[in-house]
Amino acid sequence: MTTLPTSTERVAIREGLFAGALDALDRVQLAGSSCNACGEVHLGTVHLCPNCGNGSLTSLALHPSGTLWTYTILRFKPPGDFRGSEPFKPRPCGLVELPDGVRVLAPLDIPEEDLVIGMHVRLRASPLYMDDADREVIAFSFAPAEEPPV
Amino acid sequence: MTRVYVTGVGLHPFGRFDGKSYLDLGREAAHLALRDADISWSDVDAAYLARMYLPATSAPRIFKQLGATGISSCDVEAACASGGVAIRQAIMGIASGAFDTVMVLGVEKMPRGFMDPTMIYEPWQIAMGLAVNPSYWAMRARRHMHEFGTTEHDIARVAVKNHRNSTHNPFAMYQKAFTTEEILGSRLVCDPIRLLEICAPNDGSAAIVLRSERRARAARKRIEVVASAHTLARYSSDFRSPESSMSARASNSGPTTVTARLAYDQAGLGPQDIDCFEVQDTDAFCELEAYEDLGLCAVGHGAELVRSGACEMGGRHPVNMSGGLISKGEPVGASHLGQVVELVWQLRGEAGARQVDRAGTGLAHVLGAGGHCAVTILKT
Repeated sequence: MTTLPTSTERVAIREGLFAGALDALDRVQLAGSSCNACGEVHLGTVHLCPNCGNGSLTSLALHPSGTLWTYTILRFKPPGDFRGSEPFKPRPCGLVELPDGVRVLAPLDIPEEDLVIGMHVRLRASPLYMDDADREVIAFSFAPAEEPPV
Repeated sequence: MTRVYVTGVGLHPFGRFDGKSYLDLGREAAHLALRDADISWSDVDAAYLARMYLPATSAPRIFKQLGATGISSCDVEAACASGGVAIRQAIMGIASGAFDTVMVLGVEKMPRGFMDPTMIYEPWQIAMGLAVNPSYWAMRARRHMHEFGTTEHDIARVAVKNHRNSTHNPFAMYQKAFTTEEILGSRLVCDPIRLLEICAPNDGSAAIVLRSERRARAARKRIEVVASAHTLARYSSDFRSPESSMSARASNSGPTTVTARLAYDQAGLGPQDIDCFEVQDTDAFCELEAYEDLGLCAVGHGAELVRSGACEMGGRHPVNMSGGLISKGEPVGASHLGQVVELVWQLRGEAGARQVDRAGTGLAHVLGAGGHCAVTILKT
């Protein structure tokens, strides 16, 4: 087995957040958990359904595209151990509604003047920072999409 | 059910008091409430401290200053609703017959700026910049504007009202009136919410003495607590909680709607029977939304109610006579107790220049992190 010394190891910013391998970021999807009792869908790996408390859930890959349900623009640098680029520039975030029946809170790679509720957006997985073990930490955002979600 | 009365209140101004410790703030409000109730500390059977930012064992540290009388005393934490939960504990203690006289104190001493995100969010949310409290309120405001045509001007009018009311409240941190233009000209924090539309974490304390009917009989100026309710937000009903995802299918009523309904049932009163309100105005939109959820108007009609002037002093439903958290600041553990003190003064007719004419009933409402919501209703 050969290992390329130049390849960088990647790790999800939160365990169970992504479906599939992280080597091809353009194919990465958010992971979800669908409750086998009530059918509610939640972001990431969930052990008990927060709606009904049932412990039987099915893992799925959430649709990579959706529509913007609401948004805001952060005008001040977020508090605590924020890992965004320096110096801080105002950045939008919002709730993105996916066809799976779930709305996900996410940073938005969308220019301020283009933000409009209902616009089509698509998932973008990308490195946010390097951790102490020199691994790329993969986070996510949503960017404008041409096509409506399918 | 046992009737419970507020027989004394004490309030330390909300603001920034660098020379005072939380021990000082707590002792001063507690002492004022005892004096107002015309009782001594040895008459108190139990004492609860509402707080969020203070260290563990703050209750014993504060109350021991008044005398280590061996009573039951502990800290209560429920984020912005800490005070409501502490009052509820006291009422249940009195209703059970265990206690006749309970002190409920709220104290906070907080750093400036955004609240500490590690108290509410997970590390990955903080790293991604999703741990900014006002952003959640702002996103609710944006959605409301989209669905119901509420405007930034409507939201600003709530802030204008509260800042104007604060000019009559010597206990508020800011006591300055602003025009709509000044509000809308202040810096955006999280669009569409601006600096003059947001409350600041700060220092302050407030205390009340609650007594059973038999002990309150002799009280000179007693006000009855006719409702005390607390709930956590139901599934996906409030993304201020905060959550990393929300259901697009569930349609549970929000925490204010649910808690207010419980409180109205306890009191046997409806929103139209309440003479004055102190509500959570973490930001100006939050108050507008509370009008709808408390039943002052139908859902989606908050902006119309703002435009009608009904919630101004002299209107049908005066809200935040004290100036609200926008002008007082929000010392989290003390905020609800501060609202209750204001209502007690209103119902006793002691509110001075901000007195609501013939106020006989009052409702206090808080809502915050974790989906905690509390409503307390008072009656003369």
